[in-house]
Amino acid sequence: MGLDLSYNKYSSVSLEEKERLFEEVKSDMRYQDHALYGCYECGICVAACPSARFYDFSPRVIAQAAAREDADLMYTLMNDSVWDCSQCFSCDRCPRHNSPGTLITIMREVAVRNGLQTARKALEGYGRIIYKIMSTGTQVSPDMLQPNAFPDWGGHVGDIAENLDVWRRALPPETMHTTETSWYVSEKTLIELYLIWHMTGVMDMIKEVDEGLFDILVDVMEERLEEAGYDDVTF
Amino acid sequence: MANNKILVIGAGPGGLEAARGIADLGYQVIIAEKRDRLGGTPDESSYAALTPDLRSAEEAIQDMIAPVENNPDVEIMFNTLVTGAEGELGNFKVKAMQLGKEVVIEAGAVIVCTGFQHFDPGRETQKYGYYEHDDVITLVDCEKMLKAHNFVRPSNGEKPKRVCFIQCVGSRDRQIGNEYCSKVCCGVASKEAIEIRQQVPDCKVYIFYIDMRMYGYWENEIYWPAQEKYKVNYVKGIATEIVKKGDKLLVKGEDTTLRRPMEVEMDMVILSVGMEPSSGTKDMARIFGLNQNKYGFIETTGGPMNTVATNVPGVFAAGACTGPADLEDTISSAGSAAMKAIAAVRKNALVS
Repeated sequence: MGLDLSYNKYSSVSLEEKERLFEEVKSDMRYQDHALYGCYECGICVAACPSARFYDFSPRVIAQAAAREDADLMYTLMNDSVWDCSQCFSCDRCPRHNSPGTLITIMREVAVRNGLQTARKALEGYGRIIYKIMSTGTQVSPDMLQPNAFPDWGGHVGDIAENLDVWRRALPPETMHTTETSWYVSEKTLIELYLIWHMTGVMDMIKEVDEGLFDILVDVMEERLEEAGYDDVTF
Repeated sequence: MANNKILVIGAGPGGLEAARGIADLGYQVIIAEKRDRLGGTPDESSYAALTPDLRSAEEAIQDMIAPVENNPDVEIMFNTLVTGAEGELGNFKVKAMQLGKEVVIEAGAVIVCTGFQHFDPGRETQKYGYYEHDDVITLVDCEKMLKAHNFVRPSNGEKPKRVCFIQCVGSRDRQIGNEYCSKVCCGVASKEAIEIRQQVPDCKVYIFYIDMRMYGYWENEIYWPAQEKYKVNYVKGIATEIVKKGDKLLVKGEDTTLRRPMEVEMDMVILSVGMEPSSGTKDMARIFGLNQNKYGFIETTGGPMNTVATNVPGVFAAGACTGPADLEDTISSAGSAAMKAIAAVRKNALVS
């Protein structure tokens, strides 16, 4: 499906609301710290962009919509385009020194904070990974390596999975003698992470896009925080 | 005996600079100007601020006039229209009409600085309706309004909320016959766009263009500030037609880089009209027998290495009478013409 840039594609959303969201993007300190100068519309960012090879995705259109202060188009892109970016920042090679990738980071955050339906849908598949990162502090754990999960990895995956604990203990760094996390995460680090998620508004964002995931995380976090003496933290 | 005086025809920026240069080098110069004032087109057309530095045009032109006024080496002939010429290097006899009387000016060499005229948008092949819609104006009209600090819709006197410039009107157009780029309009439009944003901050400003030609330092002196600081909206795509819709103008074109049709309502449209040879330029070419290119500009013979020599020895041309030129080009070529005209009369005097 091609990217549809028609005027007023989301006609049920008022221009005022689109302008409000664009103002939220523009008020971000990263936006003001030169994520955008002006756009030549030259396409060097698209030429460098790996996602553009696979999707009808264009960091140029993001930059030019922002440079033109086109709130309507920004809203369309915030819904239909920003999730196709792989956030590799190859687009930073812009001769005007724009950073379309940074614009996208900000637009994604605004989309999530404001609970855009498209953001929920885009993030649906990531619930398990978010749960893992936010509850354990590491992204992928060895115990996810099950024969059924990754058949393309070959038959030896089964052997490894069977004696996972032994294999892991064979690794030289002691911090990797773990199976439920990629490496050993100390209690102190976890408590700090939970407090950071809480204080920086990440938990509020999760609540906005996935209430079920939010509830599960709160259960895990509240228990550990309470044990550590932070019984006054409420999500 | 050979005549060492040099006649400069036209008292715009080019003519003033040539005259100043000749006088500074210790030679006598006569300026023949058809109007009763010095300053040429920037003065006649009430330019507000100059491109690229946004300096007051009036002040800048006054600075050019000061060194030639009341200068014993400079004779200024106002209300003087050159009508004929005979003779050759070292001995030209140039006929002119001065307030109904014929006069003969004797000079050893001539520098033609008769400049350009703004393209008349009544001749454009699109349908912009300059003579039909009050709110369709040109860069020149806009300049006058900005100078008066009165940028309003001509139709109702109200401050506009949305205006657009359409670039390349009368330039780069095979159908009109002006295939050349007029060179200054991208800079002038961007400069005016900045001034509009300064004078009417609530007004959104668009520039519809084919290519933005902001060479050299114009890039970050005008283009970047217009886009980055003043949020002027550049859209690659030229309007094909302007129609009236209520009390607004509907501009139809294509937003090429977004691959979507563009139909936008504007309060005012500013046509970025280019340069054509002035009637004075065409007259001087005929009177002195100077070659003209297919567009009517005076053809210089030295290519890029000599931008002021013509096919007639002793007759030089500088500034926009030789083709589209910005002020830098004009001032530079006027200096070159002054030097070459002096060299010509001096060498001629030595051999004769």
